[in-house]
Amino acid sequence: MCGPPGSTYIERVGAPPAIRIRNLRKTYRVSERAPGVRAALQSLVRRRVQEIPAVDGISFDLAPGEIVGFLGPNGAGKTTTLKMLSGLLYPTSGEVTVLGHTPSMREKEFLRQITLVMGQRNQLVWDIPAADSFELNRAIYRIPRADYRRTLDELVALLDLEPLLRKPVRNLSLGERMKCEVAAALLHRPRMVFLDEPTIGLDVTMQRRIRAFITEYNTRYGATVLLTSHYMADVEALCRRVVVIHHGKLLFDGELSALLERFTAHKTIVVRLEDCDADLRAYGDVLSCEDGVATLRVPKARTARVTERLLADLPVIDLTVEDPPIEEVIELVFSQEAP
Amino acid sequence: MRGLADLYFQQFKTSLASMLQYRAALVIWLIGHVLDPLIYLVVWTAVSRSQGGSVGGYGTPEFAAYFILLMLVNHATYTWIMYEYEYRVRHGMLSFALLRPVHPIHSDLADNISSKVITLPLILAAAAVLALIFKPAFHPVPWAAVAFAPALLLAFVLRFLMEWILALAAFWTTRVSALNQAYFIAMLFLSGQMAPLALLPRPLRLIADALPFRWTTSFPVELLLGRVDFPLALAGIGVQIAWLLLCLALLRFVWRAGVRVYSAVGA
Amino acid sequence: MRYLKLLWTFFRVGMMGELAYRANFFVQLLESLLELGTAVAGLAVVFSYTENLGGWKPDEVLALLGVFFLVGGAIRLMIQPSMEQLVESVRDGTLDFTLAKPENVQLLVSIQRVDIWKLIDVGLGIGVLAIALGRLGVHVGAAQACTFAATLLAGGLIAYSFWMILATSAFWFVRVENILMIFQSMYEAGRWPVSIYPGWLRVTLTFIVPVAFAVTVPAEALAGKLTWRTLVGAWAFAAGLFILAHLFWRAGIKRYSGASA
Repeated sequence: MCGPPGSTYIERVGAPPAIRIRNLRKTYRVSERAPGVRAALQSLVRRRVQEIPAVDGISFDLAPGEIVGFLGPNGAGKTTTLKMLSGLLYPTSGEVTVLGHTPSMREKEFLRQITLVMGQRNQLVWDIPAADSFELNRAIYRIPRADYRRTLDELVALLDLEPLLRKPVRNLSLGERMKCEVAAALLHRPRMVFLDEPTIGLDVTMQRRIRAFITEYNTRYGATVLLTSHYMADVEALCRRVVVIHHGKLLFDGELSALLERFTAHKTIVVRLEDCDADLRAYGDVLSCEDGVATLRVPKARTARVTERLLADLPVIDLTVEDPPIEEVIELVFSQEAP
Repeated sequence: MRGLADLYFQQFKTSLASMLQYRAALVIWLIGHVLDPLIYLVVWTAVSRSQGGSVGGYGTPEFAAYFILLMLVNHATYTWIMYEYEYRVRHGMLSFALLRPVHPIHSDLADNISSKVITLPLILAAAAVLALIFKPAFHPVPWAAVAFAPALLLAFVLRFLMEWILALAAFWTTRVSALNQAYFIAMLFLSGQMAPLALLPRPLRLIADALPFRWTTSFPVELLLGRVDFPLALAGIGVQIAWLLLCLALLRFVWRAGVRVYSAVGA
Repeated sequence: MRYLKLLWTFFRVGMMGELAYRANFFVQLLESLLELGTAVAGLAVVFSYTENLGGWKPDEVLALLGVFFLVGGAIRLMIQPSMEQLVESVRDGTLDFTLAKPENVQLLVSIQRVDIWKLIDVGLGIGVLAIALGRLGVHVGAAQACTFAATLLAGGLIAYSFWMILATSAFWFVRVENILMIFQSMYEAGRWPVSIYPGWLRVTLTFIVPVAFAVTVPAEALAGKLTWRTLVGAWAFAAGLFILAHLFWRAGIKRYSGASA
C-alpha cells in the first residue's frame, strides 16, 4: 500500500533517488528591536541581527515511487524544506537534487515534473468554474490533448468531480475546493508530488477521501509523494516511512512502527470491572475510571507482570493491552528540547 | 510557438471570465479615467477663453480634441500592475506563479487586455458624449491615421513593460508607494496628461523627450492630431522601438534579480 | 459627551499604534510634499498663461488648494480609513464583532481607524492657505474665521455622510471592492474652482458627489465670495444628507443581520 520502503534500501534497488538532500540548511536573518524610543534610535545606528535556523543540516533520500510522511510540529521546518525542494526558496547551504535537477535553478523541464499542493491555498481561479482552470493548466504545462483527456477523466472518476466542474470555484465548499485543487495540481502527471498539509481544515470524511486518493494515485502512476502534516492520521494511513523534523533537525527517519517502538516507554491497559471502587493505584498510573472501565498506564517492561496480577487479584470482565495513542508518542517526540 | 498561442488563448479566456465578474469595479475605475482628462480640458478651456480664444497654438476646440483623444489613448495604455505586485508580495501570493513553467508576465498581459476589452464600449461612449458637448476640432492627416495604429501599439507595450519592471520593486522593498507616486507624477507632467507637452516650459519639454514618458501616451495623440510632421513621426516610432528593446533587456535582468531576492527570504 | 470621549479614545489608540513606526512619518511627509509640489507646479503651468481662471485669481486658487489639502487630509485621517475598514468587515464578516459591542454601531464603525500621519496633510493645507491669504493681503477677522469654520464643519458633515452612504451600499454590492473610489476619483475635481465646470458637471460635483461643499465653499468663505444663501444651503444639505445616511445605514444593518450566513 505504501510503495517501496526507505532510503536505506536505495543502494539495494539501484535506481537513482528521486530526492537527494545532503546537509541542507536554511537560516533566516531577522533584525531585532526592543520596544521604546531609546532602542528605536539605537537601531538606526546599529542593527542587531539574529540568525534563526529554520532547517539545520538535514539529509535524506527518497526513492522513486515512495510515499514519505514529513512530520513535525508547527515551525519545525517542514514547509521550509518543501519550498526548497520545489525551488521557491534558496537554501543557505547544502545540496538538494530533485529528479536530477537543482530546484533553485527553476528550469522549465523541472517545473513541469513537479507539483506543490498547499492546504488552504488556492491556485484555481476564484470566479470561474474549475473546468476552465483545468484548461488553463493544460495550456501552461503543454499537456498533449489526448493525455489531458485521459488524465482528466481518471481524476474526475477517482475524486468524484463531475458535479463540481461547472460551478464557479467560489461556490464550492472547502472540501470540494480541495478536491479540485488536487486535481488541477495533478493534470500534468507530475513525477514528484509535494503535499503541504493537504487535509488541514477538512472534515473527517473528506480527509479520508483525500488520503485514499493519494494512495490510489501513487499506486497507479508511481509518483513520488512527500507529504507534510501534523495530523497523525494522515501519516498512519499513507506511509510506512516517516521523517520527523523538529527545530530544523531530523529526529527520526525510518518506519512508523520503529518510531513508535523507539519513543514509547509505556503501554496502556484497559480493564473492565464491575465498578470503580477498587484502588488500582498499586498496579500503575490510573488515567481514568468510568462505569467500571479503568485505564492504566504501565511501563512497557512491566506490562506482562501487571496483567498477571490484575487477572489474579480482581474480578476482571475484560482486559486489553494497547499502545498509547500515536498522538501522545509524537507529542513526546516533539516535546524534546532543541539539542 | 503553437504552445504559446494556446497559452495566450486559454489565458485570455480565463482573464475575460474573471474580469467580467468585476465589471462593476472596472466601471468605477473608469470614472477616474474619464474625469481626469475632463478636468484638465475644462481648466485649459477656461484659460484659453480668458486669453481670447487660444493658448500656445491650442484653441478651445483643439484642447477638446487633445484631451478626448488623450483619454482614449491613456485608457488603452494604462496598467495597474504596480499595485498588483505590491499586493501579491505583501500577501505572499507569488508562490503559485513561481511554480509554473511559464513567465508570469503572460497572465498579467492577458488580464490587462481583457479588462480593457470589457470597458472599451463604455469609454468610447464617454468619448462620444464629450465630443458632443465640447465639439472638438480634428485635422487628421491620412498618413498619420495609418501611423497611429503602430504608434499606439508600441506605446501600449512600452508602457506595460515599463510599469511591469517598476512593479518588481516590490521584491526589494515594501515601501513602493513613494516610488509609484514619483512615477505617476512624472507621467502626469511628462506624458502630456496635465497639458499638451507643447505648453510646458522648455526644460520640462526636453526632459519629456529624453525620457520614455512622451512616447507612452503623448506621441500617439500628437500624431493623430496632425501635430507631428512625417520625419518626426518616423523618428518617434524609432524611439519607441529603441525604448522597447531596452525595457525587454532590463526586464530579464530585473526579473531574475527579483526572484533571487524573493527566494532568499521566501513567500 | 460620551461620543466625544469614544472618539478621543480611538484617536489616541490609532495614534499610539502608529507612533511606533517613526519611519512612516517621514514617508508620509515625503509623499505629501510630493503631492503638494505637484499641485503647485500644475498651478504654475496653468497660471503662466493667464491671470484669471473662471473669475479666480492665482492666489485665490492657491488658497483653494490649501483648503483642498486641509479637507482631504481631514477625510483621510479618520473617515476614509474607517469606511475602508467597514467595507472590508462587511465582506469578511468581521462586522459581527462590532455589532456585538454595547455601543452605537454607526459611531463605532465611523471612528474605528485613524491614519494619524495624515495630519501632515492638514498641516500643509493650513500652511498653504496661510501663505495664499498672506499674498492676497486678506486679513481674516473673527467673523470670517467663524464662517470659514462653519462651512468647513458643514462640508465635513456632508463628506462624512456621503462616505457613509457609499460604504453602506457595500451591504448590497458586496463584490464591488472599490466602491469608495467614487469619491476619491471625483474629489480630484476639487482642486479647481467649481465655477469653471460646465453646469451639468457642477451640479454633479455639488449634489451627487459633494466635492463643492467640501472644498470650494469653505474657500469661498475665506476669499469673501460666500453668500448667505450658500451657507444656509450648505447646512441644510448637511443636515438632510446626515439623516439620509443614518436611515440608509439602519436599512443596511437590517439586511446584513438578516442575510448573514
